[in-house]
This record gives sequence, structure tokens and C-alpha cells, in this order.
Amino acid sequence: MPEVVLSAHDLVKHYPIKKGVLRRTVGHVKAVDGVSFDLHKGETLGIVGESGCGKSTLGRLLMRLEEPTAGSVVFEGQDWSGASARDTRRLRRDIQIVFQDPYTSLNPRMTVGDIIGEPFEIHPDVVPRAGRRKRVQELLDLVGLNPEHINRYPHQFSGGQRQRIGIARGIALNPKVLVCDEPVSALDVSVQAQVVNLMEQLQDELGLAYVFIAHDLSVVRHISDRVGVMYLGKLAEIGEEDEVYARPTHPYTQALLSAVPVPDPTLRGKREQIVLVGDVPSPANPPSGCRFHTRCWKAQDVCSTDEPELVQRPDGRGSHLSACHFAEVRRVVETTDVSGENPDDRFASPDVSELSDAGAGLGPAGGGESLGSAQAGSTARRAEATNPAPEGADPARLATDDHQDPTR
Amino acid sequence: MTTETSTRSANGEVTYTPQDGRLLEVEDLHVEFHTPDGIARAINGVSFDLHEGESLAILGESGSGKSVTAQAIMGILDMPPAVIPHGYIRYCGHDLLTMPEEQRRKTRGPEVSMIFQDALSSLNPVFPVGWQIAEMFRIHRGMNKSDALEQAVRLMERVQIPAARDRVKAYPHQFSGGMRQRIMIAMAIALDPAVLIADEPTTALDVTVQAQIMSLLQELQQERQMGLILITHDLGVVADVADRIVVMYAGRLVEKADVHDLYRNPAHPYTRGLLESIPRLDQKGQTLAAIGGLPPNLMRIPPGCAFNPRCRMAQDVCRTELPPLREVAPGRLSACHFAEEVIDA
Amino acid sequence: MTEQSIVEAPPTVDPHDAGEVGEERSLASDAWRAMRRNPLFWVSAVMIAVFVVMAAFPGLFTRTDPTVPVLAEARSRPGDGTWFGRDIQGYDIYARCIYGARASILVGLFTSIGTVLLGGTVGVIAGYVGGWVDSLLSRIGDVFFAIPLLLGAIIFLVSLPDFFNNNYLLIVLKVVLALVVLGWPSLARLMRSSVIQVKPNDYVQAARALGASPGRIIRSHVLPNALAPMIVVATINLGAYIAAEATLSFLGIGLQYPAISWGIDISSAIVGLRTTPHMLFFPGMFLSLAVLAFIMLGDAVRDALDPKSR
Repeated sequence: MPEVVLSAHDLVKHYPIKKGVLRRTVGHVKAVDGVSFDLHKGETLGIVGESGCGKSTLGRLLMRLEEPTAGSVVFEGQDWSGASARDTRRLRRDIQIVFQDPYTSLNPRMTVGDIIGEPFEIHPDVVPRAGRRKRVQELLDLVGLNPEHINRYPHQFSGGQRQRIGIARGIALNPKVLVCDEPVSALDVSVQAQVVNLMEQLQDELGLAYVFIAHDLSVVRHISDRVGVMYLGKLAEIGEEDEVYARPTHPYTQALLSAVPVPDPTLRGKREQIVLVGDVPSPANPPSGCRFHTRCWKAQDVCSTDEPELVQRPDGRGSHLSACHFAEVRRVVETTDVSGENPDDRFASPDVSELSDAGAGLGPAGGGESLGSAQAGSTARRAEATNPAPEGADPARLATDDHQDPTR
Repeated sequence: MTTETSTRSANGEVTYTPQDGRLLEVEDLHVEFHTPDGIARAINGVSFDLHEGESLAILGESGSGKSVTAQAIMGILDMPPAVIPHGYIRYCGHDLLTMPEEQRRKTRGPEVSMIFQDALSSLNPVFPVGWQIAEMFRIHRGMNKSDALEQAVRLMERVQIPAARDRVKAYPHQFSGGMRQRIMIAMAIALDPAVLIADEPTTALDVTVQAQIMSLLQELQQERQMGLILITHDLGVVADVADRIVVMYAGRLVEKADVHDLYRNPAHPYTRGLLESIPRLDQKGQTLAAIGGLPPNLMRIPPGCAFNPRCRMAQDVCRTELPPLREVAPGRLSACHFAEEVIDA
Repeated sequence: MTEQSIVEAPPTVDPHDAGEVGEERSLASDAWRAMRRNPLFWVSAVMIAVFVVMAAFPGLFTRTDPTVPVLAEARSRPGDGTWFGRDIQGYDIYARCIYGARASILVGLFTSIGTVLLGGTVGVIAGYVGGWVDSLLSRIGDVFFAIPLLLGAIIFLVSLPDFFNNNYLLIVLKVVLALVVLGWPSLARLMRSSVIQVKPNDYVQAARALGASPGRIIRSHVLPNALAPMIVVATINLGAYIAAEATLSFLGIGLQYPAISWGIDISSAIVGLRTTPHMLFFPGMFLSLAVLAFIMLGDAVRDALDPKSR
């Protein structure tokens, strides 16, 4: 196994709940409560969980956008939590982040060139001033955007294109780790695949390691080498993609997997569905013992008193880390191995470079896709329409999107 | 179409009866949004119908016009900026678009009702949920306060809200997202509508909660033989719930088919591309293919087939001629010049 | 179906599109574009331009010296040799209206700049730093906010040393100072809340993740996105400060002789309210038009910056 680049040791983040005039702390929201894992060079670690499980907080802790309450983040053997301001700055070059919402992650008042070039302004020794513009254009090209659009503003791009800009900013400093917080969940189905493929391609080319945080189990399976499942601030199960998806041993993972709808109507009614009762308990007051015991069909007395440890537990073929007293394999998803099978390229293409002009000119106008460089110019022209038609925008709102509220 | 299928009862109330099981017919519907920057053509000639007890899914990406279609059927589009220059929406033979507003208002709730994606903003935060459900009975059925509240409790129990009797006085923010969506469903089915429109009902919910809500919806639909229109972009949810599917792109129907046919062999390159581009939970080592480009700007939909700039099969004819929605196989409609080639692929 | 046919296909290009290649539209230019289409903007802009020219070069509008009375013609009506008539001391009302613009524009402009600088700075610090700094600054602001404008200004102006009555600029400065001291908290509050709104945006977080310094984050990410509401309110306030200046001058504690101000003129016209209403009408009209112009401009700016509020 390749070397470890980033590891989390017992990361804890508690947010105080303050009440009353005196702002006294009356409790803590235990957003992340003891999470440890290693991330290896060039691999993708998927982190899945439902809203409120702490996966986004975990991402922010890894980025040191939040200070952990306890525990540490170690990058290539160096403890980042205690690092000096100077070391922190240097470490920031190696760990970068891509955000979920392509509409709030880019400063609306900066041009694309300024946004992608900002990393070089902050770390001036990476690229000499004279070469910056060229480097920014290379980055635009790398993420499949037209380098000529360096002086455009974010609102002239669509959601998928903005996400590409966010990725370009993330990889500008040649980081070793990219933390991706729900990078495709705000995108339309047909655009999601473009961005996922781009990320995979960049990983191959640049040797990046990804921490891929998402709630979509299918996307995570597709992109991840290893997967961790979070529930109420803790890892319930973590292992190789195959171990977690094909041989899950934690009841929560099993329930989660069984709930995911599969786009195949022939499986209707045939799939085993584990319906969980109730809602996720509040992280301010998590259940004692195993946090899942309140909703678990296997729960026994021991589950409410003793917290199960995240240790190697047998999964039928080998073993992987799972935090359940009664860990037991249950095949919820019948996996078919389709590696080697290629999709019909008459309709869609897995080739990123072929789609790389995807964004090219289409900015505002949308509506076009160039399938060969020969047509890129015309696409670019076609693209120059008045409005960005952001995905997610109601047609009724098209007009107002033109002038986005600057107060936001 | 003009046959009168309703009767006016003694008190002047109209009662609606479906013709041959057909509840809703949408015919050649157009919706435009007139904005200072131009006209956005959100729907450009959409036709479909809905039968009793049927689940019809409208599948599409954002901007495809799927939500606007729902809003047009419900009559909750803001006009202006929206304009319906052409089209019919018939409910049991009555054109909702030409119906007097007063009469149409009375169809919302008892005949056609809707649930929305964002349950939190759809519920009024200053009133208890029980009161909000009870209001439906008070307004439409003229029930007194205590009877209406009793009905509300019963409905909340029906949508499986635990301890409904104790929580009838609770406010929306005191419920979780899934519970709020249940309350929305309770309000929507309160008056026994014949048609229920669900606009992305589970998009804002977690996957385990989504499964609960979808199975509740299905259960209620079968129990009451409602016609269900499910609007979603999620190909997984559709596969689990729908009987028939219409696929929308840039305000037009590109394909209409039975759910099994559509997934087995799609008849439109867009549908086909979508199916290729979603990662599947039950597949390992999948090569993900993507449709290039973006959905068009509704202010300047490309001439010919709206999908042509993104279509890998596009020929000259696709750039000039709008392909009509035509039957390409028994019970299957597709708006593609080369549908036969696609379907055989 | 081959790649070939795709590549060779005639591009479906709308001729209208071609002209827009490479156009770079920032939010500011979008706002300007929207503003240009707004008649309200043009009306107010022309009015303000006239008032500004009036303030800078009163000689362009009248050759009459407003400080030279013609006592013999005191209280003469409009048209009797002068456009607007003469006031109780025989001054030419038209000339005084023209010369009065200078005081109003200066007070309005300086007060706006002062409140924007002071209130804006305090607001940014309070909003960005947060915690006890925010609490402290907000409470200090509340203290000033709680003082009624007139009462506060009277006490403030009366307690200033006589040094401030030495020349025209110092007298104006005195009023500006009073209004700034009492007016900054509202802008500080506004700025604080918009900074708090902007701060959690992912682009600010992204800059932090890149290791940007707080100064850089405020300068290039927070400020540009938080300024809009303050610009709008400062424009509208400019009109309000002109009115406040007139009020103070009317009460005799704002501008004083030798300064010329609409407020002073209105005050001195009160004696002839029934017999010679024109003495009150003309300065009153100038004052109202000036205030109206800035409020209209503020509305136009808001519409342009925030189209949703329309």
C-alpha cells in the first residue's frame, strides 16, 4: 500500500450551545466525536453519511478551517494541529478544498483569472509573477474550460463550469490532498458525470489523494477506493469500497445501502429494504453506548451501555473495520462487476478530453457542446448569450439571475 | 372532449367524474416567462394524460420545465411573468385554464393537490401543524373546529407521525425534515384529491428518509386510487415508483414510455445518455459516461431538436427540423429523427 | 452517424451572439446597465448635477451678491425686479437659494463620507472579528444610536468651542461633526450585518483555506460583497443629512451668519408666513428638491444593485 499522506487521529469537534443573557454554555453539539483514518497517496477515501452526521465538519477540520476540540491531523508525518502560522501556510499548499455550492464558492466580484490566480498571490513563490497568467490559462484548459475566458465573471458560467473553476483553484498550488465537500451534489445529473470524470482524470494525472465527502452512495462507490460511513459524528464502518458495499457488517451501512434506489425497474419489490424507524437523534445529546442503538433492529442491552469499538471484524471473506457489537455480513446490494464494459459511446462519452470543451464557450448561453476542436470556435460564439442559465434556476428566475443580488 | 362529464348538484357544487378512467389531460401546453431580458420558453408543447390509480413520472433536469408543468396544472404560476399562450389542461373533461378562477380554486385540494420539495417553507411557521391541516377541513368542508382537529389527528396518524395526538399542537420547526414532509402529504391528501402532484418530494431528504416517504406515497396512492404525478430528476426513485414516464428536455417531451421499456431500451439519445451517465450502487468498476455540454438557455433554444448540440448522433436534419413526438414502437413515443436506431441499440 | 458529420455540420450560430464574444460583464457593469435603463436615475442624476454645479459655481446662476441687502425693496414679490422677490432684510431670495446649495451639499457630502468611513470601519471590524469585540462595538454604537438626533446635536453644537465659528468651512465642519457623531451607528449596524452575511460564504472559506491573511480576505472578498447596502443607505442618508442641516440651521444652532443656508432662510421667513409666503416657499422648495433627488438616486442605486427588491 502506498505511503500515508494525511491521517486523522481521534478528531473531535464540539460546538458549545450557549443560552441566556450570560451566554453560558449549556451543552455541546458533538459534530465530530473521535474520528481516525489514514489517507494514502493517490487514493480516494469516500466519506458518506446523512445530513448532520458531521462529515462536512470533518472536512473543515482536515482543512483546518476549524480548530479541533481534540485530536490531530497529521500531514506527511507533521502534526498540523500544533503547527506554527508559517508552517500552516506552507501546509495549505498541500491540502486544498473544493466546496459543494458552486454559487457561493466563487467570489462574484472577481474574474475567473483572479479567482484561480489568487493562490499564487497568496503564495507568491510558487509561480513567478510573469508566468501567472499563463499558468491560470493552463489550469483552465486542464479543467476543460476555455482559457480565453480568463476575464469573465463567475455568474457568466453554469453550475458545472463553476465547479470546474473551483477545482482549478483547488489544484492551482499542486496540492497532494484535495478535500471535496459534496462537489457534485448541487449539479444536474448529466453534468455530474462530467465533473466526476474530470476529477478522476486529474487524480491520475496529478497523483492527488481525495477525501470525497458526499451523501450520494452511488457516486461515492464509483469514485472511491476506500469508504468510511459516518453516523452521528463517528465512523460506523470503514474499509475498501468492495468491503463496505458488497460485504457491509454494520447495520447502519446495511440500512443506508438498502434505501438507495437503483435505476432498474426490474428490481422493484425484489430488493430487500431495511426501513429504519425514527429520525437521526440530535448530535447535542447522542444516545449512550452505540449511537445507532435507538434505531437498530439488532440492538440489545449491551448496545446502550457499551460503545462498540471500530476494530477489524470478519466480513465473510476477510475483515474490515466496523463499530458494531454484532457485526455480521448482510448482502444488501447485489453487485455486478462491469469493469471492462464500456458504455455505448454513441450517446455519452467517458472520455474527459472529448468533453473538455464542455464548458468552453457555453458559459452563459448554454446550449452547445463541441465534440471536436474544429467546432470549438463556433461553440464559443454560440455561447455568448446574455444570461447564465444556472442549473437549479427556475426559468422564472432567469431574468433576475442576470443581476445576482450583490448583497449576498 | 367537450362532453360534459360533471353534474351540478343541488347546491351548485360541481362534481367531477373521470372519462374512461382519464383524470387529467394536458394538451399542447406552452408556458413562457416574459422577463426584461427576453422571453424564456419554459414549456413548448407538452401533452400527456393521467389515469386513475396511475403513477406518472415527469423526469428531467433543472430547466427542463418539469416543475413549471406541475405549477401550470395546479394554477399556481405567477402570471405575469408567466404566460400560457396556448394549450389545454383538462381535468375530467373540464379545461382548467378557461375555468372561472372561483371554480378552479375549489378544485385545488379536493380534486388536484400538490406537495413540494421544501416542506419547511411550505408550512406556515406561526401556526401549529394540526391547525394547518384542520384548516383544510374548515375551509373546504365547513367542519367545526374540534371535528376538524380530530380529522387532522387521524390524518397525522395515517401518515405515520408517531404520537400524533400529542404533536398536533406542535409547530413546523419542531419536526424533522422527514416528519414535515409527512405533514405536507397529510395536508395534500386531506380532501381526498383524485390527482396528487409530488414535485421533487424527497430531494431535500436523506436517503433513509426518502425511502420511507416514497413508500408512504405509494401506499397512499394505492389505497386511494389517486393519480400520482411524480416530478423528479432521480432515475432511481422513478424506477421504483412510476408506471409510465415522460422525459422532458428544454420544455418538450422527448420520450414517453412504460417504465420497463424506458429503462430496457430508451428511444431517445438524451434518455439513453442520462442512463449511461449515472453511477450505480450495484455496479463495480463502472465506466461513467457523460453527456457533454449543458441544457440550453430557455431564451434561445437551438433550432431543430433542442438536444442536437449535445447529441452524438446529431445529423443536419436535427439542426433544422424539430422532430415530432411520434410512436416508434407500440406504446412508445420518442421525439428523435433517429429513434429507431436508438431503440435498437 | 460519424464524427465527421458532426464536425462538418454548419454551426447553428445566431448572428446576434457573435458580437458578444469576449464581453466581460462584472456585477458592477450589470448594475450600471440596469441603472441606465431607470428613468428615476436620470431624473435624480440631473437634479443632483444641477445642485452640485450650483454649490461649486454659484456665479454661473446669478450675478447678484446674496449678502448685499436692498432694504428699500425688502419683502418685494417675485417678478418685482427679482425672480423670487426679496426677503425681510432685502436680500435677493433667488441668489440666496443658489448660494444656499453650497452649505447643504457640503454638509450632506461630508457627513455621508464621515459616517461611511467611521460606521463602515466599525461595522467591518465588529462583523469580521465577532466575539467580545463585536459586543463592545455594538454596545457603543447603541449608546450613540439612543441619543435623539436633535437633542444630541443641540448639546454637541452648543458645547463646541467658539473656535468653530471662525470661518465658513469650520462652521460647516461643526455641523458635519455633530451629524457624524450621531449618525455613524446606523451604518455600522448595516455594515456589520452584511459582513456577517458575506463571511460564511464558501469563497471566503476558500480564501482562508488558501492561507490568505485577514487583511486580504476583508479587502478582496468581504468588502466588495458587503458594500452594496451601505452605498444605497449612504446615498439616501445624504438627502436626510441635508434636511438635518436645514433643521439645525432653522433652530439657530447649525450654520450661522455669515453662512448662507436654506434652513436659515426658512427660519427667517417664518415671520412673514401669511403676508409673504414666497420667502418661505423658495428655500423650502430647493431644500425639498435636493432631499428628494438624493432619495431617488438611492432608490435607483438599490434597484440596480438588488433587482429582487423591485
